[in-house]
Amino acid sequence: MSTNISLPAAPPLASSLAAMPRGGKYLTFQVAEEEFGIQVLKVREIMGLQEITAVPHTPHYVKGVINLRGKVIPVVDLRLKFGLPETEYTQRTCIIVTEIVSTEGNMLIGAVVDGVSEVLNLAEADIEDTPDFGREVNTRGLLGMAKSKGKVKILLDIDEVMTATELQNLGSLVN
Amino acid sequence: MQLNQNLDRIAEQYLLEDFSGIRPLLAELSAHLSHDQLAPLAASLDQLLAEPAAPAEAAAPAEAATMGQASQQARAEFEGALEALRRALSQSAAPAPSTGATSSSPAASSVLSQDPELVGDFLLEAREHLGSVEQGLLIIEKDPSHKESLHSVFRSFHTIKGLAGFLEFDRIQDVAHEVETILDMARNGQIVMGPALVDLALSGADFIQRETNRIESELHGRTEFVAAPVELLAHLRAAAQDPGAAAQDPGAAAQDPSAAAQDPSTAVPANIPAEAHAEVLAVPSAEEAAKLPEAVAVDAPARRAQTQESYSIRVDTAKLDYLLDMVGEMVIAESMVRLDPEIAASGNARLQRNLTQLRRVTEEVQKVAMATRLVPVSALFQRVNRLVRDTSRKAGKLAEVEFFGEETQLDKTIIEELTDPIMHMVRNSIDHGIEQPEQRVAAGKARAGKIQLKAYRQADHILIEIVDDGRGLNRERIRNKATERGLVPEGAVLTDSEIFQLIFEPGFSTAEKVTDLSGRGVGMDVVKKQITKLRGKIDIQSTPGVGTTFYLKLPLTLAIIEGLVVGVGRERFIVPIFSVQEMFRPAPGQISTVQGKAEMVMVRNTLLPVVRLEDALSVVGSHSASEDGLMIVAEIEGKRFVLMVDEFIGKQEVVIKSLGGSLKNTPGVAGGAILGDGRVGLILDLEAIYRDREPKEENSTETRKQSFCFSEQDLVTV
Repeated sequence: MSTNISLPAAPPLASSLAAMPRGGKYLTFQVAEEEFGIQVLKVREIMGLQEITAVPHTPHYVKGVINLRGKVIPVVDLRLKFGLPETEYTQRTCIIVTEIVSTEGNMLIGAVVDGVSEVLNLAEADIEDTPDFGREVNTRGLLGMAKSKGKVKILLDIDEVMTATELQNLGSLVN
Repeated sequence: MQLNQNLDRIAEQYLLEDFSGIRPLLAELSAHLSHDQLAPLAASLDQLLAEPAAPAEAAAPAEAATMGQASQQARAEFEGALEALRRALSQSAAPAPSTGATSSSPAASSVLSQDPELVGDFLLEAREHLGSVEQGLLIIEKDPSHKESLHSVFRSFHTIKGLAGFLEFDRIQDVAHEVETILDMARNGQIVMGPALVDLALSGADFIQRETNRIESELHGRTEFVAAPVELLAHLRAAAQDPGAAAQDPGAAAQDPSAAAQDPSTAVPANIPAEAHAEVLAVPSAEEAAKLPEAVAVDAPARRAQTQESYSIRVDTAKLDYLLDMVGEMVIAESMVRLDPEIAASGNARLQRNLTQLRRVTEEVQKVAMATRLVPVSALFQRVNRLVRDTSRKAGKLAEVEFFGEETQLDKTIIEELTDPIMHMVRNSIDHGIEQPEQRVAAGKARAGKIQLKAYRQADHILIEIVDDGRGLNRERIRNKATERGLVPEGAVLTDSEIFQLIFEPGFSTAEKVTDLSGRGVGMDVVKKQITKLRGKIDIQSTPGVGTTFYLKLPLTLAIIEGLVVGVGRERFIVPIFSVQEMFRPAPGQISTVQGKAEMVMVRNTLLPVVRLEDALSVVGSHSASEDGLMIVAEIEGKRFVLMVDEFIGKQEVVIKSLGGSLKNTPGVAGGAILGDGRVGLILDLEAIYRDREPKEENSTETRKQSFCFSEQDLVTV
């Protein structure tokens, strides 16, 4: 685990983020060595890995499209999105189908993660603002950090993660 | 709610001039409302009751005028009071504290402060009403005494007014109110809806249409400007106050269409003596008797439309799309079960029988679900009706329009996309095709030109014909123009159809003068582009002096295409079949290489460029030798090329689905489709693939190769 993460919380960064109620239920999952969490309300469903049709001329982290009961939805590999090395998909690998709010309206996007852990109920007090990691780490996609059962979970603002193109360096958080 | 209904009834009684009937309603209201609120209404009602009901009863014209004015004042007061009460009610009913904002600047802020869903419903309903208003007014124009249409148009305006009032769209409310007043007088037999009044009512409807468009764009965050209807309201009020003047001899206006259309204000001239009222009043009954058979004939379709309406419901398109998705999945699941090897091997006859039954049912469900998106073309034709009327007037020509096959059904999206091209072609037909009345008579034709719109189904396509009996296309002039512009080499031999196709070239116009209607050379190329976009084809037939016919061939729906499923390496792609001409495996030596790079293949004595799909999409293919591949000859906008893939897997009808989000605009990919095994296949955008082929290549070779392939093209056509 990175030593950065256990640092005491820095003063609140973005006032808009602080204003948003962050407490509530989070689905936690693993990508590489790290535990992440996204708000349960953002999750449509969790499905096992299925055949992904590759789409040409797309960024490398877009694995392609899948058939979600008659709807064609894009699938993004979060490892690649965060600039982490690609690994073989395993039995635990799954796709979290998230509902994203973007400028073009709501849309469904699948996120490939290494494995899903549990649903956590986090109180506002459990969540700390994202510390300032310096310029190399873009913290735009982060809601905050939560401590639960002695482990730190990184809470993602999944709307931001899925719509922003430059989030590669989030991976440096994990290593 | 109850109170609002009461108010509606009061308004209705008021419009029916049954003032005494309002009193008991007011008494009913007083049980719910304070005295202060009702006082102004009651006071103006008393005043109204004191006035003689109909100003026409007065003996001298001068007296009638003053009396009319007084009662007008009382009416205005009554209306004002009623409106104030209604507003107070709707505000107290509205839960949001929006009162302050709405009253300060009504037109601009109200859209944003209102519930967007309510506004959306209003827009939908208002447009529906406007559609029937137009239809009704056109019937009234032909037969001013057509009671049923008068009633229905009145009701439509009344409903629009009520809804607009509730949502505080004051401009719409004001205009609708004035038009309603005129229509009310017409249906009570006080005036006759002459062409001038119909024009006025139509421009009222037009304004409301524009205003609804504005509201809609505001709803989506865009601002649009629509001028306040000051002049229109003035005309409407003038017509309402002086009905005798506006209801001048309908025959005169009909004979001189241009005059009436040019300036509606001239159609509302000075006073006509009171004696005229009596005459005007007598006209409808006589006319009614004379036109009885015709009136019945017009009634029939109107009644049919009404019954149709009562059996249809409005459904959110998102729901329909979801239904279609689910049905598609059901069909796939069904075929997976049916084709499961274990089930096939079981030899259980009963199971097989049940599966066959299941298949039949799913197929039927799929067909029905697909049909839900289809709507009759009559709505589109109806708009042409209006267009022909306005355009022929403007051009000083006479034209009639006839429809065939209005009930033919077509995908709603296609109908929407088709509106502009069809309107343009009809406008062209009137402006270029139909001759002036005198010329027509000289040529031995009827004074009025005839435009026919026909729609019918042919196998998997819908055909729409636009027929006019005008002067026909001028072959020589089109040809000369094309030679002049360098589109056709001098002395080339062209068939009629090839010459006619030239009018679809960009910037091509043979009109000697640019008119308000057409001749600017924008249009026919846009028409063609739009039709091609809809995966349709357009063809022309024309005989000099006899007329021109445009044939449009369109797919039934845009949602489904027939495609070839092809494989490249592990990936599968779908090639839309409408752009595929043929497929073949190349013989050894059939492929030649230009400058060691670009591959060409000889197909029926024509050299065509080869595009390898694996290169175009940067996927891993399995064949490196060209001879092992499969060649697909594709045609895109008149240019042909050969697409090389690894294998042909099958032919399938697929439902086109958007890739969604950021993938929507992926170059070379038009969309996705669910294949028979439940996987997603990508539908290819051949145009983009051809355009962007081998981007790695240097520009110079690119252009050289392109010019080479164009010269090939020229060889083919000449």
